[in-house]
Amino acid sequence: VSSEPGAGDELSRWATALGPAVLARAQAEAVEVLRDALVDAALRSRQNTPASSRQSKPADQTTPKAQVPSEPDLLWAYCVLKADDPHPPDLVGVESREPVERLEAGGLAVLVSRVPSAEFGAEPLRHNLNDLTWLERVARAHEAVLDRTLADATIVPLRMCTIYETADSVRRMLERERASFFDALSALDDRFEWAVKVLIDSRRLLDAVHAGDEGGDPKAEAQERGEGSSYMLRRRSERAARESAATIARSVADDVHGRLGDWAVDAISRPPQNRDLSGHSGEMVLNAAYLVQRSRTDELRGLVAELEDRHRGLGVTIELTGPWPPYNFIPGDGAAALG
Amino acid sequence: MDGPDLPGNRPAGSSPDRGSGSLPDGGVGSLPGRSAGSLPGRSAGSLPGRPSEATNLADILERVLDKGIVIAGDIQINLLDIELLTIKLRLLIASVDRAREMGINWWEGDSSLQSLDSNGSAEKQLREENQELRERLDRLERRLGAGDDEGDK
Repeated sequence: VSSEPGAGDELSRWATALGPAVLARAQAEAVEVLRDALVDAALRSRQNTPASSRQSKPADQTTPKAQVPSEPDLLWAYCVLKADDPHPPDLVGVESREPVERLEAGGLAVLVSRVPSAEFGAEPLRHNLNDLTWLERVARAHEAVLDRTLADATIVPLRMCTIYETADSVRRMLERERASFFDALSALDDRFEWAVKVLIDSRRLLDAVHAGDEGGDPKAEAQERGEGSSYMLRRRSERAARESAATIARSVADDVHGRLGDWAVDAISRPPQNRDLSGHSGEMVLNAAYLVQRSRTDELRGLVAELEDRHRGLGVTIELTGPWPPYNFIPGDGAAALG
Repeated sequence: MDGPDLPGNRPAGSSPDRGSGSLPDGGVGSLPGRSAGSLPGRSAGSLPGRPSEATNLADILERVLDKGIVIAGDIQINLLDIELLTIKLRLLIASVDRAREMGINWWEGDSSLQSLDSNGSAEKQLREENQELRERLDRLERRLGAGDDEGDK
């Protein structure tokens, strides 16, 4: 006789189903807050330490041995290019007093500059890499060498902190990795990496969702069902609006990435960036990179502008930066060569 | 009449806390939504020393730390293995989900961070919301249960 489940059962099932979702959301947001706190702390500690006082500190603290003045310099390697290709004459290295030089072997060239072992030896390096001020300075210097070289040559970027003891070991490395470098150079020849970010102003997107959501009338429904239901319905419609905003945001990202990905030589999508480092406003729903023929740069700009126009009404802006060294498109991604 | 230096002329709706009076008194006031081009970024104030014209540090770090061909050097530093770098700095460039994928979840057991956790206003709000929902559900269920169960059986 009791074939139909009562409304009570239905509600309790609903509540059981709802519980985990609410909890998951709470957890996710708590982790967000935590991450921001961590980032704040890291950035604050970076600001509080004067740049001048940290140069010598790591070496003193971690490697008293390194104070011996006769400790030889090390060689920091930036990128590999064909021996035929030029590099700018006045490059400034990660240690700004040392010029960037070029070592050649096997038809390849690698750009290197001297760095003091008291700062770049294994132990001090390990320490320094955890210092965001130091890391930023060195990362920017490494990137700057690549950026300038990129203008007139095809390059294979080396991972930051590729460091050798002697010029001979750098040349041996070139010989050893010759084949994979040539593979990479031909895959990257005459191509640039461009970065594209899709940013959405959440408030404008929600406004657009509400404006287009004339369908159900939660208030009328609520009046039929009474007080308690009105609260639930309002919550539900707010949640529904947020969910459709999230769906729309994803579809905008998919549209942009799909369009540019089909058009470009190669494409990659990466996790959204941290706001404190990137300084972006709005929600970053796409953080992508594309490998593009150098001659098609204008076309790319046009395409990005067109995509931005298409989605502008949803509070979307698209940021295009580049050209970047082709970090994200090295064949095989290099990891296998380690060791 | 329309002297821009009279504070009394400001429309009541304008929010003086937004830009410390640096907003030009042009036609901006009529489109408050548009000026949100610079959203109230959570952390705009936390980086006073950062030169804004420089390339985005996140763009650089996510490349130089995470990409670029890896070949054996004489100084063997595996960027993936450096303790603090993997933890704190990676959180700067990677999302928390990614950190979890990499097996980084240290904050979950750290008491000092858990206190941060419980102070998080977003979580608190969600917790209250959750509690409220439960109470309302309970009440509804009781009410419905009292009527329906008896009627059904």
